[in-house]
This record gives sequence, C-alpha cells and structure tokens, in this order.
Amino acid sequence: MSSTRREMPTIVRAVLVVALIYIFLVGVSSLEGGIKVMGEDTQERLFSSVSNPLAGLFIGILGTVLVQSSSASTSVIVGLVATGALGVDDAVPMVMGANIGTTVTNTLVSLGHVRQSQEFKRAFAAATVHDFFNVMAVAILLPVELVTGVLSSAAEKISEQLVGSAGSEWKSPIKQWVKEPVSWIQDGLDGLGASGNFLGTLMVVAGLMLVLLALTFITKNMRRLVADRIERSLNKVLGSGGGLVAMLLGLIITISVQSSSITTSILIPLAAAGVVTLRNIYPVTLGANVGTTITALLAALAASTPEALTVGLVHTIFNVSGILLLYPAKPIRNVPIRLAEGLAALAVDRRAYAVAYVFGAFIIIPVLGVAILR
Amino acid sequence: MVMSFFRKGESGLDLIAHRTITMLADARHSFDLASAAVLSGADPEDVGADIRETDDRINQAEQELRGDLVTHVAVHGSFEIGSVLSYTLLIKKIERIGDQAKNILDLADEGVSLAGHADTDEMLKIRRQISKMMTEAAELLSSENMEQAADFRDRCDSLRFELETTIREFMHSEQPGSFAVPRAILYRYWKRIVANLAGVVASATEPIQHQDYLDAGETDISDD
Repeated sequence: MSSTRREMPTIVRAVLVVALIYIFLVGVSSLEGGIKVMGEDTQERLFSSVSNPLAGLFIGILGTVLVQSSSASTSVIVGLVATGALGVDDAVPMVMGANIGTTVTNTLVSLGHVRQSQEFKRAFAAATVHDFFNVMAVAILLPVELVTGVLSSAAEKISEQLVGSAGSEWKSPIKQWVKEPVSWIQDGLDGLGASGNFLGTLMVVAGLMLVLLALTFITKNMRRLVADRIERSLNKVLGSGGGLVAMLLGLIITISVQSSSITTSILIPLAAAGVVTLRNIYPVTLGANVGTTITALLAALAASTPEALTVGLVHTIFNVSGILLLYPAKPIRNVPIRLAEGLAALAVDRRAYAVAYVFGAFIIIPVLGVAILR
Repeated sequence: MVMSFFRKGESGLDLIAHRTITMLADARHSFDLASAAVLSGADPEDVGADIRETDDRINQAEQELRGDLVTHVAVHGSFEIGSVLSYTLLIKKIERIGDQAKNILDLADEGVSLAGHADTDEMLKIRRQISKMMTEAAELLSSENMEQAADFRDRCDSLRFELETTIREFMHSEQPGSFAVPRAILYRYWKRIVANLAGVVASATEPIQHQDYLDAGETDISDD
C-alpha cells in the first residue's frame, strides 16, 4: 500500500517557492509601476468608483470571488495603494470585502456533498460559519472604521514605527531587489511600441498575471511541502478539541500555504464525514482569516510607500479585532454557528437555497451593489 | 499540541500502517489470552478484563484511524485513495479478529474448557500456528513482500480448508453435543480469524477490487 508518487526533492521545492515569492513581488511591483505610468486623470477615473465604502466592499467581494483568493486580491489592493492612486480609506472596505469573498471557495467545495443529505448539512454549515463570521465582523467593524478610523489609525501607527510616516517614500530593500525585472518588463513593452496608458495597462496586466500565477504555484508547492505536517497536526489538534490551539493551527497552516481557502477547504470533507464538529472547525477558520493577511504584508514589502504596509496591517488588525469581538463571549461566539446550522438545515430541505445563497451572496448582491453605489 | 506542525515525525499512511500493526499485536494478545482460557484452563475472569480492555483499545484505534484516513484524503487529495480504501477494510478485519477473540472468551465464560482432553494438544498446535500467523501478518504489513504474502495466503487457505473439514466432521460426529458443539464453534472462530488474517495481508498486497475474493473475483472468501 505504499505510495508510488514521484516527489520533487524538498530542497528543490523550497528553492522553487523562494523563486515564486520573488516573482510574486515582481508582479506587485510591476502593478504599481503600471499604474504610475498611467496619467493622473486615468488613475482618477479608475478609482473614483470606490470612493463609496459600500461599493469598495462589494468590489472587494467580487474581485476575490473572481480570483478565488483573498491573498491575491489584497496583494493587488496593496499594490494599488502603493501607487497613491487608491487611498488607504478607500482600500479598507475593499480589504474587508476580500475577507468575505474568500469564503466562497469552501462554500463551493461543500456543494460537492450535495447528494448526501447529512454529509451536505455538516459540510455546508462548516463552510458558511466562515461566511457568517466574516459578514458579522464587517457589519460591526466597517461602520466603526468609517466613523472613527480606528483600524487604519492603529495600522498607520504601527506602519510609521516600522517604515516611516505616510506621504514619505520608503526605501524598501525588497523593492530594490525586484526593481531590475520590473524595468525589463517596462523596457520590453516599451520596445514593442507601447506607451502611456497602454504601456501602463500592459504592465498592470503583466503584474496581475505574475501575482496570480506565483500565488497559485506557491500555494500548490507549499501544500505539498507541508502536507504531512498539516495532516499530523490536524489529527492531533482537532481530535482533542477546538479553541485557541485550533485557531493557532489555522493561522500556521494558512501562513504556510499562503491561502485561507486551502485551509478552510481541507476542513470541509472532514466536517462532511463527521470526523470533526462544526465547533472544532470554527476556530480553525478564524485562525485562517488572520493567517491569510501575511501575503498582503509580504506584498507591502515590494511597495514604495508606507501606506501599502498600512493597508496590509489594517487587514491583520481587522481580522484580529473580529476574533476579539466575536469569539471570547460564548453567546456571541455561537451566533455564526447557529446561523450556519440554520442555513444548512434550510439548504438540505431545498438544495436550490444553497445555490441561491452562493450566487446571491457572492455575485448578485455585490454586482448590484457596485452598479448602484459606484 | 500545535507544535506538532513544526516537529519532524511520522505521518500519513506510514503512521497509519504502524498503528494497524499495533492493532494486530493487540488482537494477537486477546487471541492468546482467550485461547488460554479455553484450552489451558486459565480463569476466564482473570483474563476477561485484559481481553475487554484490549478490545476497547482496538475499537478506539479503529475509530481514530477511520478519521485519520479521511484527514489523509482531505489533505493529500485522491492520489492514494486505493490505499486509503484498503486500510479501511484492513482495520475492520483486525477489529473483527479482536471481536472473534472475545467470542472465544465467551465460550470460556459459558464454562467450556477443552484443557486436558485427548485432542487438546492438537488444538493447542493450531492455536500456536494461528498466533504465529498474526505475527507474520504484521511483518508482511511492514515489508509488503509479495512472494511471502502469496505464500502466507496459500497457507491461510490450506488451514481454512483443514478447519472447515474438521467443522464438518464435528457436524456429523457421533459424539455428544457437549463434545462436538464447543469444538465446532471454536474451530469456526479460528476459521474466521484465519480468513481475516489472509484478508489483512491481501489488503496490503492486492488491488482493492480483488480483496476478499479469489479466482479473479469468482470466489467470495469473506462470508464462508
């Protein structure tokens, strides 16, 4: 019964991951460079629609649903903030939207169990508990942030301590390392005759492709690299309960694989089979929420302004604050669980509700929201 | 606990394989004790607690391993799905061996003692043979030596045939029921244990679709 799969040597895979992280940073930097090449009026036109915070929130949801990765969408947001064209205040709702959008992946995975009622009920509840928690966190923290600016102020203070005050230019060493390949991209496109907005657009597209491709392969390789560790620790931690240890495990796994979707999607078949309970899964998904913010922080290292790091930090602070607000008190902690169980019970009775929920929450409402509010 | 993520250690199917070997060792322990209660005059009450505790351990291991196998598929994907399905069959067979050992103890609990009879030595010989086969099966689970596995399964088939023949002789025996029935039941349990041992080794060496069957799927050996 031994496996016959031919595995790439660990050291080769590790070197590959480092190279992919470098490509990811080049992508973020190329994105920033592309926007900067565009004229100020073009930048103004591009980002004026997100000045409404709710529109920003819905764009964050839609963008993340489209790329199925909040790591990718928040990294792009960080890159845009680094250009100065997108302000921190406008980026914060988008980052919160990314948090909601990323939950679509495990919800889609749970639909794979739709033919077996009891399995589906458990799987769907395990998936949507993440949705409800994130929606509740946004419902509380977005208005608070809009009124007080507490999250962005806290992030700005940390950012100031680390890289300097807003408005200044930060000489990131990472930025220097990725400068050369970005100039190759720009020179190459320039050589093909592209200039002005067209050159900027091509650089943005190239940057987006590099970010998405690099993140996809980083996730794939890291998953292979740490799969045995994930398996071992899941068996140990989930077998003996949930709580803070499970949250920490979610954080570690997500940082390792650079994707909260991977972490939360792994849990769905376990929930479906009844191997772990909804209450054990819940803290793991919260840890994954925090873990996924590491990618945007990494992206901020390739940016040239402190504001980029501020946005990355807002994402982290938002998720940590959400946990601090909604997890410690048992009655509040149970709200997302009860909502998820209720929705799962409805979805089992009528499967169409599940499909309607996915389309409604992740596509129709955000599209309508953007169309109306922009 | 969460630090286990950072520590190096056995995981995946290797860990599951080692735990199945431990289960098999537990099953052998139960079998030896239960057989001693019937064949060597050991007090069923003395060995009963140990056998039940061991059986609980086997049952617990089976449940944990099922969960571990689901986790393995969830984390690694379906690449090793054949092995995972084989393990689910394998651990069930070991759990059944544990149950059958408990069934042998039930005979002793009912007052059956076959110690000091004319055929006791013959039965003790079979008990030793089966006990040794359990160790061999555990070794084959680790080594996955195909030739030795094939040889082992042939010997299991021969022994099963001998046990079946003896059971038939008891069914048509002129001896009183108090003589023939306990022996027929004991041989029947042994036969099932041997079939399960053959199945355990087949799980490690045969394709999933042919397990529990002989002659390319023609002969069902799991319900005889």
